[in-house]
Amino acid sequence: MKLDPAFIWTAFVELLSAVPTTLEITAVSVLCGFLIGAGTALARLYRVPVLRQLGSAYVTFIRGTPMLVHLLLVLFGLPMLIDSLAESLGWPLRSVSIPMIGFVYVAFSLTSGAYMSEVVRAGLLAVDRGQIEAAYAVGMTTPQALRRIVFPQAFAAALPNLSNSTIGMLHGSTLAFAASVVDVNAKAQIVASTNWKFFEAYIAAAVIFWGLTIAIERLTALLEKRHHAYNRGGVA
Amino acid sequence: MGVPFEWSYVFEYFVKLLPSVRISLVIVVCSLAFGLIVGLVVALPRMYRVPGLQRVSQVYVSFFRGTPILIQLFLFYYGMPEVLKLVGLDVSKVPSLYFVVFAFALHIGAYASEAIRAAANAVDRGQIEAAYAVGMNGRQALRRIVMPQALGIAVPVLANLVIAMLKDTSLAFSLGTMELTGKAQTLPTLSQHFFEAYLSLAAIYFIICFALEKLFAALERRLLRYERRPVQEAKPAYGRKWLNRRLPAGLDLPKEGASS
Repeated sequence: MKLDPAFIWTAFVELLSAVPTTLEITAVSVLCGFLIGAGTALARLYRVPVLRQLGSAYVTFIRGTPMLVHLLLVLFGLPMLIDSLAESLGWPLRSVSIPMIGFVYVAFSLTSGAYMSEVVRAGLLAVDRGQIEAAYAVGMTTPQALRRIVFPQAFAAALPNLSNSTIGMLHGSTLAFAASVVDVNAKAQIVASTNWKFFEAYIAAAVIFWGLTIAIERLTALLEKRHHAYNRGGVA
Repeated sequence: MGVPFEWSYVFEYFVKLLPSVRISLVIVVCSLAFGLIVGLVVALPRMYRVPGLQRVSQVYVSFFRGTPILIQLFLFYYGMPEVLKLVGLDVSKVPSLYFVVFAFALHIGAYASEAIRAAANAVDRGQIEAAYAVGMNGRQALRRIVMPQALGIAVPVLANLVIAMLKDTSLAFSLGTMELTGKAQTLPTLSQHFFEAYLSLAAIYFIICFALEKLFAALERRLLRYERRPVQEAKPAYGRKWLNRRLPAGLDLPKEGASS
C-alpha cells in the first residue's frame, strides 16, 4: 500500500458533507452547556442552599469522569428513565422514537455544562467588586447592574476559557460515533473502510479539525480585541 | 434494553473492572514519561529561539492541540505501519497498545511543551542572572536553579494534564486495547446490564481522578516549600488602631502656626 495523495482530496471533499453535523453538535452542546453552567455558577456564587451542593456535586462528578462515559450513561440510562416514566404516567412516548442525536446533545450539554460553570464562575469573579458597588451608587437595580456592568466585563475576562472549552467540545464531538451519529470522524471511518484507504481519510479528517480549531482561535482573537476595547489603557 | 435496573450488578462489575485499571494506568504512565521528554525537546527550541526548529515545534504543537485525540489515534494506528514500511520495518503484528502509547505520548508532548515553556518563563529572570553571577554555566543554572522552581510552578498544569489524559484513555478501546472502557463495554454482553456497568466505570474513573488530584496537591505543597509564606498576612490597621498608631520615628509633624 502506498500513500495516495489524490485520495486525501477526495476524502476531504466527502468529509465536508459531515462538517455541519459536527458543528451542530458543538454549537448545541456549547450553548446548552453555557446555560447549565451559568445556572450552576450563579447558584454556587450566591450560595443558594440546596442548589449549591447539587451544583458542586454535578461539577465534581462530570469533571472526574470521561466524556465518553457520560455519553454511554446517557445512551443507556436515559431510555430506561424515559420508558419507565412514560409507562407509569401513561405518555404515548417511547425512547425508540427519539433520534440518537438527541441523546448526544443531552450528554454533551451535561459535559460542557460542568466545564462552562467553572468558566462562568472565573469570569464573574474576575470583575472587580467595586464595579457593582458603583452601579448601585448610580442607582441601578441588581439585574441592571448584572446585565449592563458585570456581564460585559465577565464575558471579556472569560473569552479565552470559553474558546478553550469550545475547542474541547469540538474535539469531543468525535465521540458521537459511539451513538452511531455520522459526524466528521464517523464519516472518515466510512470513507476509509469503503475505499480501504484509512491513512488518507484520517489525514483529511485531521486537516478539517485543525482548520476548524484555527478558525475558532482567530474568531476569539477578533472578539477579544472588540471586548477589551474598554480596557486598552493609554490615551484615546 | 428491556432489563430493569439492578444495584447488585453495579457492585459485581465494579469488582470485575478493577483488574483493567492496570492497563489504563500503564497507558497514562508510559505516555506521560515519553510525553514529558517529547515536551521538553519541543519546548527547548522555542525557549532558546532556535531559528528553523522554532517554527517546526510551533507547527507540531498547533497540530496536536488542533486535532482531536481520537483522530490522532486512528492516524497513528493506520499511518505508522505504512510509514515504517518505507524504512523496512514491519509492525503489523505489534499490539495496538504500543500505538496508543505512541499517539498519547505525542499528544501529551504538545501540551507538556506549552506547560514547560510557561513554567520556565514564570521563573524570575533575576534567578538566572544570580546563577550566572555566582559562576554557574548555562546548563548548571538550568538544572539547579530554573528546573526546581519551574517544576513547582508546573505541577498544577501537569496535574490537569494527567487527569485529562486519564480520561482520554477511555478512547483507547477504539483501537482494540482492552482497558477500562473497553472492558466495561464487553462485560455486560451476556447479562445486558450495560447501564450498571457504565455506572461502576464512572465510579472507578472518579475515584482515580480524585486520588490523583489529592496526590498532586500534596506534591505541589512539597515542591513549593521554599516559598515560605507568611503564616498570617499582617492586616492593615484600620479604625481605632489606625487612629492610635504610632508615627514612625523621625517624622516631624509640622507644628501649626509655626513659621520659619
